[in-house]
Amino acid sequence: MKKILSVIKREYIQIVRTKGFVIGTILGPVLMAALIFVPILVSVLSVGEQERIAVVDETQEIFLDLDERLDRKLKDGRRRYLLEKYEMRADIGALKGELNQKVLSNAITAYLYLPKEILDGGEAEYVSQHVSDFNKIEDIRGVLNRVIIEKRLRTEGLDPAKIAQYIRRVGLRTIKMTKRGAEEDTGGTFIYSYLLVLILYITLFFYGAIIMRGVIEEKSSRVVEIVLSSLRPFQLMVGKIFGIAAVGFTQYTIWALFGLGASRYGKSYLASHIPASDFSLPSIPVYVFIYFVFFFILGYFLYGTLYAAIGSMVNTEKEAQQLLCPVTMFLVVPMLLMMFVIRAPNSTLSVVLSMIPFFAPILMLLRICVLTPPVIQVAGSIVVMVLTILLMIWLTAKIYRVGILMYGKPPRLKEIIKWLRYK
Amino acid sequence: MNALEIDSITKKFGDFYAVKNLSFDITGGTIYGLLGPNGAGKTTTIRMVMNIIIPDQGRIKVLDHKLDEKMKERIGYLPEDRGLYPKMKVGELLLFLAELKGMSKDTARQKIDYWLKRFDLMDWKLKKVEELSRGMQQKLQFIATVIHQPELIILDEPFSGLDPVNTKLLKDIMLEMKDEGRTVIFSTHRMEQVEMICDNICLINKAERVLEGNLREIKKQYGKNTIILDYDGEADFIRDFTEIDKIDDYGKFMEIRLKEGTDPQVLLEKTVGKVRINKYEVQEPTLNAIFIDKVGGRDEEDPVSH
Repeated sequence: MKKILSVIKREYIQIVRTKGFVIGTILGPVLMAALIFVPILVSVLSVGEQERIAVVDETQEIFLDLDERLDRKLKDGRRRYLLEKYEMRADIGALKGELNQKVLSNAITAYLYLPKEILDGGEAEYVSQHVSDFNKIEDIRGVLNRVIIEKRLRTEGLDPAKIAQYIRRVGLRTIKMTKRGAEEDTGGTFIYSYLLVLILYITLFFYGAIIMRGVIEEKSSRVVEIVLSSLRPFQLMVGKIFGIAAVGFTQYTIWALFGLGASRYGKSYLASHIPASDFSLPSIPVYVFIYFVFFFILGYFLYGTLYAAIGSMVNTEKEAQQLLCPVTMFLVVPMLLMMFVIRAPNSTLSVVLSMIPFFAPILMLLRICVLTPPVIQVAGSIVVMVLTILLMIWLTAKIYRVGILMYGKPPRLKEIIKWLRYK
Repeated sequence: MNALEIDSITKKFGDFYAVKNLSFDITGGTIYGLLGPNGAGKTTTIRMVMNIIIPDQGRIKVLDHKLDEKMKERIGYLPEDRGLYPKMKVGELLLFLAELKGMSKDTARQKIDYWLKRFDLMDWKLKKVEELSRGMQQKLQFIATVIHQPELIILDEPFSGLDPVNTKLLKDIMLEMKDEGRTVIFSTHRMEQVEMICDNICLINKAERVLEGNLREIKKQYGKNTIILDYDGEADFIRDFTEIDKIDDYGKFMEIRLKEGTDPQVLLEKTVGKVRINKYEVQEPTLNAIFIDKVGGRDEEDPVSH
């Protein structure tokens, strides 16, 4: 035990002292903050540009209403969209060709073509060089929709004064019901779920790689046998995994303090300096955070042992890439399934997936974030993970013991199985 | 007391015998040479003594105890594949390795200073290992092996890559350890070092024991039928003599083994006048000759060390 402690201490001090750790620890939150605040700042500070949109209105009835309603303003109070009515011509093809040229030469941003049939169910066309600005498209689609529906209803003889009331959008409040009571949710759950899972995913990768690099370094510098003359391979492996866990814990604590500070002062700072900013950082419930830490620890040991085993089998990080493929799959697959699980957290497939040991850290945490799964399922996944960790430690210890003294080409599966059988 | 008892150990890797039914005992307070060509099984044997590899069959007793982890604190081990943590500082590294051997911090610190001074490395104590030259790193590895004052010191190819000055330093310390009553085992395939310092030897070839016992007695068994001829000139004519069993010609120096019952004087008479003789000596065979004789004259290169 004392020897394991010595190993833990060495691992911890050696890593914490590296430039990489210091830079990573400071840069992590800076990057995270940048990821959150830069887009906000950009959208808050940028004024934006006016856009000229030509309108070809075959019905001759829509343009005025559209021009009046499509009145989104830029930060400096000017209109964002400048609509220009284009006179109809008999030859529609020639007219479109002319407008296409104007779009391509940037004389206008876009043109909107409203055919005669549009009042009876036809489709409008929006032609521009780039059509991926969802806000803009939504603006135009929304206003156009309203204007035309109003027109249709008016032709049916409805009272124009009441139309607005008839077609008002129905509000839908979303309320999350948990055992702890009801709370209104405006998308915060989604944001913090995503954030936590992303942090979990990145750090599992990150610390796994540190473990692996450490094992490879011991092997390639040939120090391992000197160390093994004092302790068992198992003690060395366990010491390394715990030592790096302590590094992770330190880094997480620093980040958490950063995060707390940022959410306390950053928010008020932004609010006082940029009047127009109106955003709220999602607040993470305490129980979710506790689960997060807990699942990180489980995930760490689950993946840490795998990385240690791989490190012991190879001589260089380059050789490790191939063996890392399945491990990477284990981490990437739950990320791909994330959207599905958020949408249907209680479906049989989601439940089953969150019980698979290597997916459980990410997927069960996700399910805990978006709903409160039955206690039995949470407990079940934890039991499955703990059992898998014990099995992994047992298997890895056997592979590690042989692999760490083997130089030469990395073993094939057949050889690894043989290693497991060595006394 | 026996420092080490090895009782018919066998280790197989797949179908390959790394060590086959090997036995030998080592008396405490002696220097023991474990000899053999590359790939003979020396390192595997040593790793089994260190409990790094578990033998398939047989028993090993270290310092009169059954082998277990606690015993590792009484053994100093310098592996063949050796290195150090490149990013650690010299002092820190030695402290870490001493702690792993169960030493208290205070004793360890004293010993570290003692050995660093002895090896002239005191100025490097706060430097990183990677800044040291290869020779200095080897000295450091040796310090790590003996820092906890082990009763049994196992050195796997300790002289490989050492310059003559450090070779002498290491040899002196090995003899000093013996004088203090400690036991030293080392493996090598360099025979001249063995002749200088070993009390007993075991020669292994192709996983099996070929020769074992007291070095002096072994040489005596071979009898005084070896001639060392130190000469200048063209000496090829010697090969024509029918009384000769074997010749090892080094150009200016020859080791000649005569057939049994041949009088060395006969050969001397035939040589006089044909070359310039600097030295003509009748002696026991060198260990090198015995080694080549036993191993089959071929030092087989086997790149895989098991």
